[in-house]
Amino acid sequence: MIRIQLAKALRSLAFLNTEKKRRAAELIIANKELIIQNEEKEKRAAELVVANKELIVQNKEKENRAAELIIANKELAFQNEEKEKRAAELVIANKELAFQNEEKEKRASELIIANKELAFQSDLREKRATELIIANKELESFTYISSHDLQEPLRKIQIFSTRLIDDESQNLSEKGKSYVLGMRDASTRMQSLIRDLLGYSRTTTSERKFVITDLNSVIELVKKDFTETITAKNAKIKVVGQCDVQVIPFQFHQLIQNIIGNALKFSKPDLAPLIIVKSEIIKSSDVNSDKKLPAEEYCHITITDNGIGFDPQFKDHIFELFKRLHDKDKIPGTGIGLAIVKKIVENHNGLITASSEIDKGSSFDIYIPSTLPL
Amino acid sequence: MKNIFLADDDADDRDFFIDALKEVNLPTDITLSNNGLELMKNLEMLIQHPPPHVIFLDLNMPFKDGFQCLEEIRNAPKLKDIPVVIFSTSASDVYIDKTYEQGANYYIQKPSSFKLLVKSIEKVLTLDMWPSPRPQKENYILSIT
Repeated sequence: MIRIQLAKALRSLAFLNTEKKRRAAELIIANKELIIQNEEKEKRAAELVVANKELIVQNKEKENRAAELIIANKELAFQNEEKEKRAAELVIANKELAFQNEEKEKRASELIIANKELAFQSDLREKRATELIIANKELESFTYISSHDLQEPLRKIQIFSTRLIDDESQNLSEKGKSYVLGMRDASTRMQSLIRDLLGYSRTTTSERKFVITDLNSVIELVKKDFTETITAKNAKIKVVGQCDVQVIPFQFHQLIQNIIGNALKFSKPDLAPLIIVKSEIIKSSDVNSDKKLPAEEYCHITITDNGIGFDPQFKDHIFELFKRLHDKDKIPGTGIGLAIVKKIVENHNGLITASSEIDKGSSFDIYIPSTLPL
Repeated sequence: MKNIFLADDDADDRDFFIDALKEVNLPTDITLSNNGLELMKNLEMLIQHPPPHVIFLDLNMPFKDGFQCLEEIRNAPKLKDIPVVIFSTSASDVYIDKTYEQGANYYIQKPSSFKLLVKSIEKVLTLDMWPSPRPQKENYILSIT
């Protein structure tokens, strides 16, 4: 039994040995296998390290690239923004241009209309000019008619009536004589009317040649015209200041003559007339007027008298044709003198105003451009 | 005897003139012409005789007016020295200037009373117009008061 057990134990040991041998061999193989695998793994690890390094490099590269792209992106975004801004600006500019274009078209069409209007006005003006020429000719023929054709029969009435009185009075009753005298007075009055009307129309039709004139020399001439009246009424004419004016000489003479003539005529019966003519050059801004004044400087002439004056409510009316403020039996006149004055002042592009109070004398302010009208 | 010519187309004016001339205390002889044409004919005919002392010349006349007569008179060698006094209703500056330039001696605006007419004629007849020179322009208009 022991033997059996031994044998058994031996056999078992042998088996175990073999087993162990086989196991060792297997282990060796396995070991070898493991070594190979290890080697393989090491190799793989090395490869992975390399690959890893490669990846790190690539990663860095990519990071760099990404950063560059971010910058580029930002740059592009900025450029984009700029372009959008520019585009928006262009849109505005475009709209602006379109608007301007429209405006220009509008303006152009307006100009076309204005042009047509001007052409029309020009035509009108030409027509008006022609009409004026015709009217002027008519006025001239009126001047001629009143200077000749009307005066001729009137003069005959005057001569016949004076001859009736002078040569035939013994054949006339007192009544008859008074009728003839009435006729003579009426015809004398008509004569002055015709003469003054002629003077009035002459201020329109006559030649307008402007000459530099010393105002005081005109006053001296007017004084001569009135020598007799001045002596008879013991009148004084005082001249203050001096002005050179561009005037139509004979018209300006008549202007001063009419005003001084009035001052002498409308004097107070118990007071020697004192007429003061003052003149000075003033700026247009100092002229008392609502109207727009064409000249820069004016000769301001003030003619003041100490006569009977007039009611200030008539200060504008006195320049109207045939306007009279007195009974013609008391103070003779045709009511044309101041109308002529006004017209002459207008012919000189000037202004005239009058101021007065009853019994307190009157004053005329005349403004004549000191330089030639354009 | 003063030999006077008058050219005027107006019959009344011619009658006034003749009547006025009768009142002038000077021996005169008058030759009347009804218009300018007649005046020039009369001057042509009478020029052989003593020439007229003065011609009173109206301006507005038919056929030939005073301006034309004056022009012809001043341009005719035989007539050019005869004194001419313009005798017109009008006192227009244009007429006055023109006739002075044409060489008339005096200008009278026809007076409006008979007495003044007589005085005007008297005045003209006493003026020494020939051969003395013409008056200055300012004395050209003869006004009688």
